[in-house]
Amino acid sequence: MRIRAERDDLVDVLSRAGRAVGVRSPMPILQGVLVSVEGRSMKVTGTDLDVTVRTELEVEVMEQGRTVMPARLATEAVRKLPAGAVVLQAEAGEIEITGGGPRFRFREFNVEDYPKIGEPDLTGAVTVEGSEFAAAIGQVSVAASTDDARPILTGVYFENEAGKLRMVTTDSYRLAVRDLPSVDAHMVGLVPVRALKELARSIGASTVRVAVGDREAAFASERGSLTARLIEGSFPNYRQLIPESYPNRVVVGRDALLEAIDRASLVAEDHIPIRMTLQKSGIELSVTRQDVGGETEHVEAEYSGEEMTIAFNSRYLNDGVGAIDAESVILDVMDPLKPGVLRGEGSDDYLYLLMPVRL
Amino acid sequence: MEPFLERIAHVDMDAFFVEVERQRRPELRGKAVVVGGAGPRSVVASASYEARTRGVGSGMPIGQARRLCPHAVVVPPDHREYGRMSERVFEVIGGFTPAVEAVSVDEAFIDIAGLRLLHPSPVAVAEGIRSALRAELGLPASIGLATTKLVAKMASRDAKPDGVHIVPAGSEQEYLRPKKVRALWGVGEATYARLEELGIATVGDLAGFPRTTLVARLGESLGGHLWDLATGRDERSVTPAGEARSISVEQTYDTDITDPEVLHRELLAHADRLASRLRRAGFVAATVQLKVRYDDFTTVTRSHTFQQPVSTGRDLYHAALTLLDRTAARHRPVRLLGIGTDGLVTAADPRQLDLAPRSWDDLEEVVEELRDRFGRDAVGRARLLDDPPEFPGDE
Repeated sequence: MRIRAERDDLVDVLSRAGRAVGVRSPMPILQGVLVSVEGRSMKVTGTDLDVTVRTELEVEVMEQGRTVMPARLATEAVRKLPAGAVVLQAEAGEIEITGGGPRFRFREFNVEDYPKIGEPDLTGAVTVEGSEFAAAIGQVSVAASTDDARPILTGVYFENEAGKLRMVTTDSYRLAVRDLPSVDAHMVGLVPVRALKELARSIGASTVRVAVGDREAAFASERGSLTARLIEGSFPNYRQLIPESYPNRVVVGRDALLEAIDRASLVAEDHIPIRMTLQKSGIELSVTRQDVGGETEHVEAEYSGEEMTIAFNSRYLNDGVGAIDAESVILDVMDPLKPGVLRGEGSDDYLYLLMPVRL
Repeated sequence: MEPFLERIAHVDMDAFFVEVERQRRPELRGKAVVVGGAGPRSVVASASYEARTRGVGSGMPIGQARRLCPHAVVVPPDHREYGRMSERVFEVIGGFTPAVEAVSVDEAFIDIAGLRLLHPSPVAVAEGIRSALRAELGLPASIGLATTKLVAKMASRDAKPDGVHIVPAGSEQEYLRPKKVRALWGVGEATYARLEELGIATVGDLAGFPRTTLVARLGESLGGHLWDLATGRDERSVTPAGEARSISVEQTYDTDITDPEVLHRELLAHADRLASRLRRAGFVAATVQLKVRYDDFTTVTRSHTFQQPVSTGRDLYHAALTLLDRTAARHRPVRLLGIGTDGLVTAADPRQLDLAPRSWDDLEEVVEELRDRFGRDAVGRARLLDDPPEFPGDE
């Protein structure tokens, strides 16, 4: 196998596939990426058996063939070469990477040991605008759990809402729901949030084809594909958590609130809640940390409802307000021990619900 | 909920050695008993209250004790047994909170601030500890409660025998004033003589003395320290040994565990016990740590940090199971298995609420109450039964 390509293009395809490679993989071969050269293209595959990323690049092919090379080392080697053309070749158990003078040599993995991975199954796929999909992933991934002890909560739940695609996450302290009203879809499944975050990073502005099957979710664009094994288990019945009516409503400028949360967070750190006293004249925001100090401020807002004080984890609140794409944020509350619901004013496609902190 | 003002408890076992002897020799109950050696230079290590009323005290030569109280039964000391019982005393106290500072085999300071969600008052905590010691070990203890260590220690003396004495916050000076200066820490014979020269007999006298004069006579460290104590200034906090605020449960097995199913069951039992100890201590766990020792004595630990602190055995168990995957425990014989937490957070701190109803929290709390009333084995997980009961129609 022997090809020539521009350094930056090579780094892009190698690193994107390489990010699917597990750091603690039990199988040494999975520390490598599979490179196949055929026709005029080079395909790179990285997998940890749960998530698989395939990338593709048009290259100058001097000799067709396949190899498995150490993912991190090879990517970093190419990255460190001078800008310009790079030659990558595999021969007699050795990978050689050269360009502009320097020459790297690495031991090749046995290509026969690489697991057989099926092609992405895009049956019933729907097409989604890349930037819209990436934004939606960003909005829901904030509320997903990263705790491996609760695997179900580390997924993004795909389902239908009135025939449209809906994505839901919860870490049991908050819940994010995003509808994609422009996407007609009938697919249900729990996709690892880790895979979707990876997808959002490399999706670009192109369109993405999305298919959630029985065991696997597949995403494909002109830049390559990503498949992810679905998480098994049933997602919590989240619909019952969303209140039906909201007696108390605050409408507040998103940026003003974010800035205030940011100031309070300086003192709050993670485990100290931010207190919000909601009253006609606006929000009195305060945080007090024993042995350190505190911060208070008034945030202009419209409030209709009973005066009350409710407290939230500063990071959870910041995640929710930050995920809203609107000039004004609506915060609906019932009482200091019931969930608060955040939405953008004038937009119904995103909802972020968070439980308060009991003082 | 108001914090406990009198948050320092001083637990002092009553006539500890004598009471331990009485536990294994019931015929000694109700009699005057002196624990001490038989040699000519032996002294009294511990005397029962019956002997004390005749003037017998610790440190007194045995011969003198015999003269004062001729009918007293003299028992030679068995320090191994006292050490063993002392461990059990600390286990019982440790079941309430890990914030325990051992002073000697039969004496400890406890910071009970974390227990305010479980007990209505400091006195209720003290009575709880006393009745647990009585129920589990048959040993009487006296407890003093106060805002500072010094006052708590003096109060436990006033509580004796077999009682509780609380010095309410704000009344420390008044309480200390009539006490003899000897009762203060750091007042040995030499210091006492020098204080006497100054005409100081009581703590009140000491407190009334100008600090500067005292410092000039006794030096900054001793003079200043005594004056601070006498005026109720005692900032020392309860510092558990090693200051490691951790709770753990572990067990070494007689035969190595090779069956994963047994491993899981043991882990579940450990998680339950850990949760129970956390709950009693008024803590929630921010982390969980798994410890595995293989048959060749190599030991590995793995830890997990929760997104939010947890308190249920169920949460601890699930996290520990995930950690078990990161060890070779399912493929190698296991000699020791333990789980613990060193990320203790006071349960009374602001708590992030959960979206899902926390029915397990409530359930485990009820289980705990049943165990308090009917004993540890009264109720438990079906999976942990050695001999599961048969249900009608159950094949």
